[in-house]
Amino acid sequence: MNPEDIRYHLEHTWVRVSGKKGTIGITDYAQDALGDIVYIDLPEVDSTVEANTEISEIESTKATSSVISPVSGKVLEVNEDLSESPEVINEEPYGKGWIAVIEIENASELEDLMDAAEYGKYVEEESK
Amino acid sequence: MKLAILGAGPGGYVAAIRAAQLGAEVTVIEDGEVGGTCLNRGCIPTKAMVASSEALSKARELEKFGIELKGELVPSLAKIIGRKNKVVSTQVKGIRSLLKSWGITVKEGRGVLTSAKEIEVRTKDGNTEKIEADKIIIATGSRPAQIPTFPFDGKNIISSTEALELTEIPKSLLIIGAGAIGCEFACIYRELGTEITIVEMLPRAVATEDHEISELLEKEQKKKKIKLITEIKAEKVEIKDDGAHVFLSDGKELVAEKVLVSIGRTLNSDNIGLEAAGINRGSRGEIIANNNMETNVPGIYAVGDVAGGMLLAHKASREGLVAAKNVMGISAAMDYNVIPAAIFTSPEIASVGLREHQAVKKGIKYKTGHFQFRALGKAHAMGEISGFIKLIAEASTDKLIGAHIIGPHASDLIHEAALAMKTGLTIRDIAETIHAHPTLAEGVMECAEDVHEEAIHVPKK
Repeated sequence: MNPEDIRYHLEHTWVRVSGKKGTIGITDYAQDALGDIVYIDLPEVDSTVEANTEISEIESTKATSSVISPVSGKVLEVNEDLSESPEVINEEPYGKGWIAVIEIENASELEDLMDAAEYGKYVEEESK
Repeated sequence: MKLAILGAGPGGYVAAIRAAQLGAEVTVIEDGEVGGTCLNRGCIPTKAMVASSEALSKARELEKFGIELKGELVPSLAKIIGRKNKVVSTQVKGIRSLLKSWGITVKEGRGVLTSAKEIEVRTKDGNTEKIEADKIIIATGSRPAQIPTFPFDGKNIISSTEALELTEIPKSLLIIGAGAIGCEFACIYRELGTEITIVEMLPRAVATEDHEISELLEKEQKKKKIKLITEIKAEKVEIKDDGAHVFLSDGKELVAEKVLVSIGRTLNSDNIGLEAAGINRGSRGEIIANNNMETNVPGIYAVGDVAGGMLLAHKASREGLVAAKNVMGISAAMDYNVIPAAIFTSPEIASVGLREHQAVKKGIKYKTGHFQFRALGKAHAMGEISGFIKLIAEASTDKLIGAHIIGPHASDLIHEAALAMKTGLTIRDIAETIHAHPTLAEGVMECAEDVHEEAIHVPKK
């Protein structure tokens, strides 16, 4: 099940907000569609990212795809563990498989994102 | 016909054998060892080292292949170099015996033209000998280019030549120049455990390749933690107790145990008596030759690196064949349109024909096809899924005008594209040729299908 405490982006990424910080990652649907993840090109700490643009590139045994950031802001932290064990994203997309922490610039962007129920429906539609 | 050839590299020795086959009395003058840079300090020794680093890379993945390793993997550079030397000496012997079998005389020493018909050879023991010839082929090659502010000292500041002779794995290596040579050594030494930083003046690695190829190589190097700094110039170096301190144009200072300068090659056209024979050179020092490989002096030919153009062994060899035929009165001309080239990075790169940006610049209307190796069963079975194939076709004729491959065995796969270009085949011809399954070559077929959006193993776009 998709957790209730996070917001979802159309491009199958999520953000968990805590104060001004937003932790982002890819959804369970995304990791399942990608298959075994073999590499992630992590963003650089202190770089900035725009919402709806690529923050990172992810490589699975099937495909190479962009990770689209759900929010804009400065990258505060990246999950270095993923460079050694990218498969954690497959195992725990909403937990240990987080990708980066962003300093949220514009909280209003969160309103454009979906909640768990909306995302659930969206994915159902997509997979039809 | 008495033919003298200056230099026994892949231009000279190939010309020698072909001319002998056609009945010439051939003398080859070589200052170093037969096989030239290619065999002794270039293509072959680097590939021997690549093989060792690939073996290590595979060994590190043994568990993935279901094999348990009990014990440690310990690369010994001295032994890797020892194996490399053995590979080289076997090949040198091979060429020597080939030359002997065709009755070709090899003079060891430095040859200098004294006229259009005579070469003076200074042997290592100080003797000189004059060789008279009806015709001459100059195939003196090239050597690593030096930056005045980074003078080679053979210890801290080295060229590719010394990078093939190190006996201890350096802790850190700063490479100036992210061309083919720099990137090959980066991959070799990174695998052995060296910290690598590459400094490149241009905006990308292997800048002469298709931009998508450069992009993927950069990503693959990043995975290996090879650091690439682009659009920056290495300005000067100071050797201190803790290594070479390199100062960059952005004010930064980097420290490395060794600095490898791989910014290109200088042509060996100096001090070989070109003036005495009246042979013209171009602005980069290259001997100017026509498509028959003949210089402005009738009867004197120039082939390989010293004749300018692409610095490739196989280009030199083909020019050697063309020159040899013309020497023997058989008309032949060089065709530079289809010359494949390979870079033995990890993953490998190979290309032939136009890069996409060149097609744009030429105003050609084109279509492209892309195919990822990870869509092939064979690539998965081999455990080598990184990389892609890209084909460029002229839109109006469907003819292949460029092929770019980065991935496993790219250097072997490129020749199907080279043959297609040489013979004017269409993308349809490649797509309709049945390719054996399971092979990496299926990727070339699928990529051709992708040009027309008909690839089977590519999701609907």
